[in-house]
Amino acid sequence: MAMNFRGFVPFLCLSLVVACAARPFYLLPSKIATQNRQPLQTSRPYNIAHRGSNGEIPEATAAAYMRAIAEGADFIETDILSSKDGILICFHDVTLDETTDVADHKEFADRKRTYDVQGVETTGFFPVDFTLEELKKLRVNQRYKFRDQQYNGMFSIITFEEFISIALDAPRVVGIYPEIKNPVLINQHVKWPNGKRFEDKFVETLEKYGYKGSYMSKDWLEKPLFIQSFAPTSLVYISNLTDSPKIFLIDDVTIPTQDTNQSYWEITSDKYLDFIKEYVVGIGPWKDTVVPVKDNHLQPPTDLVARAHARDLQVHPYTYRDENSFLHFDFHQDPYQEYDYWLNEIGVDGLFTDFTGSLHNFQEWTSPISQNDGKNKSKASRLLDKIGLLISAYKNG
Amino acid sequence: MNWIGIIVPFIAVSVIGGCVGRPLLHPAPIRKPLQTIRPYNIAHRGSNGELPEETLAAYRRAVQEGADFIESDILASKDGVLLCFHDLTLDNTTDVANHKQFAHRKRSYQVQGVNSTGWFVVDFTFEELKLLRVKQRFGFRDQQYNGKFSLITFEEFISVALHAKRVVGIYPEIKNPVFINQHVKWSDGKKFEDKFMEALKKYGYKGSYMSKEWLKQPVFIQSFAPTSLTYIANLTDLPKVLLIADPPTRTEDTNQSFFEITSDSYFNFINKYVVGIGPSKAAILPSIDNHLSETSSTGLVAKAHAHGLQVHPYTFQNEYLFLTFNFKQDPYEEYDFWINKIEVDGLFTDFAGSLHNFQEWTSEKGN
Repeated sequence: MAMNFRGFVPFLCLSLVVACAARPFYLLPSKIATQNRQPLQTSRPYNIAHRGSNGEIPEATAAAYMRAIAEGADFIETDILSSKDGILICFHDVTLDETTDVADHKEFADRKRTYDVQGVETTGFFPVDFTLEELKKLRVNQRYKFRDQQYNGMFSIITFEEFISIALDAPRVVGIYPEIKNPVLINQHVKWPNGKRFEDKFVETLEKYGYKGSYMSKDWLEKPLFIQSFAPTSLVYISNLTDSPKIFLIDDVTIPTQDTNQSYWEITSDKYLDFIKEYVVGIGPWKDTVVPVKDNHLQPPTDLVARAHARDLQVHPYTYRDENSFLHFDFHQDPYQEYDYWLNEIGVDGLFTDFTGSLHNFQEWTSPISQNDGKNKSKASRLLDKIGLLISAYKNG
Repeated sequence: MNWIGIIVPFIAVSVIGGCVGRPLLHPAPIRKPLQTIRPYNIAHRGSNGELPEETLAAYRRAVQEGADFIESDILASKDGVLLCFHDLTLDNTTDVANHKQFAHRKRSYQVQGVNSTGWFVVDFTFEELKLLRVKQRFGFRDQQYNGKFSLITFEEFISVALHAKRVVGIYPEIKNPVFINQHVKWSDGKKFEDKFMEALKKYGYKGSYMSKEWLKQPVFIQSFAPTSLTYIANLTDLPKVLLIADPPTRTEDTNQSFFEITSDSYFNFINKYVVGIGPSKAAILPSIDNHLSETSSTGLVAKAHAHGLQVHPYTFQNEYLFLTFNFKQDPYEEYDFWINKIEVDGLFTDFAGSLHNFQEWTSEKGN
């Protein structure tokens, strides 16, 4: 029994060291062969898990993303920023104050700064002033006080690569929906070697994991991806680097674009849509600009969806939340009535939601995958939109 | 050729005879029947998530949205008219404070051992109550109908159900009977419970649970006061439901504790009088730190079912502040849990439309 014990222990240690060193630093790819994984559904509007299932678990954490996948998300969504040392991370705010415990870390007390962010003087702890190692010391908190606080302090910030590996490791095909976030600010504060910019590193990361192919191509269906940004020049720039589908995000009516300083009215004009449709497959507008709201009641919808659809642009509005404080009275405090309205009356093509599980319930109960007429219906109404466009062009021309 | 002289009077008499002979509120002959295969959707005070509670509009909306039953609390005015109203005081849900002519009517009374001050329903005649306008109770619900609707009588409530295009049941409560009988006296020496039953009988409500007559005009009579229910058991075989409040509360008439009225021996007694219980959700499953834990279950549902009693818990509300975190801010997850895991037989909901959606959308799955 004691025969080779003395020799065995060093051998065991050596094996462990070798094994640990040899293991890739990202999660191993799915153990299920790619061919056997349930494919992405494309017959009904996309369920986009906005920052993961952050209605239940702190946003943009591994746990929030895994929960979203378990709940049936088609895509997991994230905002990509950069650390001081140029590592791309998943984080929404330009400052760490609201959703991390940075204020509890005495060693970082002197890191508070004030920067101009899109014309607004902003003070706080900026991720661009922290290395990844430092950021990894922080813990994420639930943003909203009225949501479950029990996971505060348990999870850390993750990298873009860790986010990607969560999708690739899922038991079924799950798409990713990353945002080139605050590129103007990032490029001001973070410099990469070889003159590379934020957008270059962003696309590099995607290519490293094999994301490629235009919308609905074979490559794309294996690894579905939408790249989103509020900055049109970033989208135009990367269109030279990748043919992966891009989505142009549109903010509230009062906010100009951060890079080109264009107004909402300009970037939603027919002329601009005609321009941008060469670079993007869709738009991601704030839902209250698509259907305006007064005294918490819906007003008649604008024609943005029709004009987008007429140009073959998808529409993925943000953001859908279950809490009645976010619901307009027309929906009777019922998040499912809101889904019903946007999917069946307005007819959008995807929804950014904080509550993937609720949207999945609604879609499964009212339009299960076996009934494949969902996308066909919207194709018909898009054709009508196109005809409408032709007629009005003829009338005006 | 005197046939005109014969035919015309004959037709006239027939028409008049037909009109007079027709009952005042006869329901339409062929109506879609009450569904009885899945738990009852009980519109708690009507669709009060959208419209001020216990108004005609709230009840009509609930019927439109698919409620199986419309529910109401019955109190009495100073002159003995039975009306639909939940609170004993008018302060929270009416504009009584704006009526200068009633400024001096504020009173303080003992209500179930607690001193309460306000404008009490029992101090106003029905004609005076009709001058008031109802408002939405919760500040976070739609306020746009405030001041538009008035209080209604028990009879007006009944007519909403009887006039519906499909069979809709009613679920009225003998509310605060101890207090009402203290403050309101009827000239014929009858008590509140008698007048309550008179109203139901007048509109033809009769029959035991699931009988042919009951299915035509379904009704559950509910009360927190067991003696009111045992009293009316002598007057009607219509199904009755005993309401059960959270543990510290004692019954207003018999001063019994929660533990006593949910004991096996009590169920053995009360199940001769009632077909079910209507407990608060917390009486079945308390919550800690806004989480439900099944280990803290009181076992009430299993016990009730074992005694052949239905369980209709109250109240289901869509707003996240009423949902424990287990339900992920999603009211449909709450319906799913209570219907499919706890297996209750009916639900009092402020949002009949949402419950109806849930039941309709998941019914194909055989739930």
